[in-house]
Amino acid sequence: MAEQSNGTLTLQVKPSMIDEFVKGAKKGFYVAVENITPAMVLAYALILFLNIIGVMPILAKLLGPIMAVFGLPGEAMVVLTAAFFAKAAGCATAATLYSQGVITATQATILFPACITMGTLVGNFVRVVMVSQTNIKWQPLLLCSALVDAAVVMWLTRFALFIMGVS
Amino acid sequence: MAETNQKEYKVTWKGWLSLTILVISLSGIFTNANAPWKALDFMVLTGNFGEVAKGIIFTGKGGIGAKDGFMFALTLFPTVMFALGCIQVAESLGALRAAEKIFHPLLRPLLGIPGVSGLAFVSSFTSTDVGAVMTKELVDEKLMTDNERTIFAAYQFAGSAVIVNTFGTGGPLLPITVLPVGIIILLIVIAKIIGANMVRLYLKWYLAKNAVVGGSKNG
Repeated sequence: MAEQSNGTLTLQVKPSMIDEFVKGAKKGFYVAVENITPAMVLAYALILFLNIIGVMPILAKLLGPIMAVFGLPGEAMVVLTAAFFAKAAGCATAATLYSQGVITATQATILFPACITMGTLVGNFVRVVMVSQTNIKWQPLLLCSALVDAAVVMWLTRFALFIMGVS
Repeated sequence: MAETNQKEYKVTWKGWLSLTILVISLSGIFTNANAPWKALDFMVLTGNFGEVAKGIIFTGKGGIGAKDGFMFALTLFPTVMFALGCIQVAESLGALRAAEKIFHPLLRPLLGIPGVSGLAFVSSFTSTDVGAVMTKELVDEKLMTDNERTIFAAYQFAGSAVIVNTFGTGGPLLPITVLPVGIIILLIVIAKIIGANMVRLYLKWYLAKNAVVGGSKNG
């Protein structure tokens, strides 16, 4: 972008705050176009599909007892599964379930940090663990620790909700 | 990318001010304030859409499937754009450098990693890749050991680029969450630190166990 003139005068123009804001907002626009919108379209269509074929009640029954540990209904497992593949998909799925009244706003709040914590796990494994060249011996350990973190953050959020008297 | 020149960097008052404002803005403490300073709050400034009919914004009512998903995604554009714009400005004013000053002395007790990793630590709040590359370089320059890298990678891996991702990919949940978004970020960071410490303890236990049998070698 910045023209590097190898002439006599090199103007070092520091980008102004307005330039920086515009740059960031533009980045946000592309995140919305490239990550959020496709994920929302997928999530809404997928949940509709699962609803029509009648899988949701079965999931709720099967996984109910496990998810109850985190104060969530069984259907919330769909959110975490989606998040594993992509953060945006997990969050979009949670928003969909909320809009359908399957989960409450409080339950969506519990899922929110978990989606971010354990989201896009495989992609980030490459970007963090491989790039930093972490000892290969401990790499499976790191994968597990991310999942444990997600469980921890759900309990932390429940605790925070309890403290702030929201639940 | 990632120049690891850990040279003294002067943190200006702008850096401190922008960090303070960013934290206040995201913490949500002024969301319900009835005073001019509520203008500092992120959610207040994000605002609301106008209503087409009573209680119904332009996305309409009763939509389902992919079309409804698309309409909902449209409502998130302003939030994400505004958030990333603000974060970019705060970063350019030196908010990250100021945060580094705060975290530098805390990293050893908190994560068992050296203070020089402060810049990588704060960079990992807004970028997945910069932190990872810096971490590799810290080890290459012998400023960090292999085991410390494993602990640090455990911290960065879960919930990577937490601030940008919470506002970006977490966009769909921002209008729904009942906790201020600053609290959500804080909880994630706490969970990251807990997770990294579990790895730290495991490594410590493993080394202690194997030291008895024979020399533990460090890959």
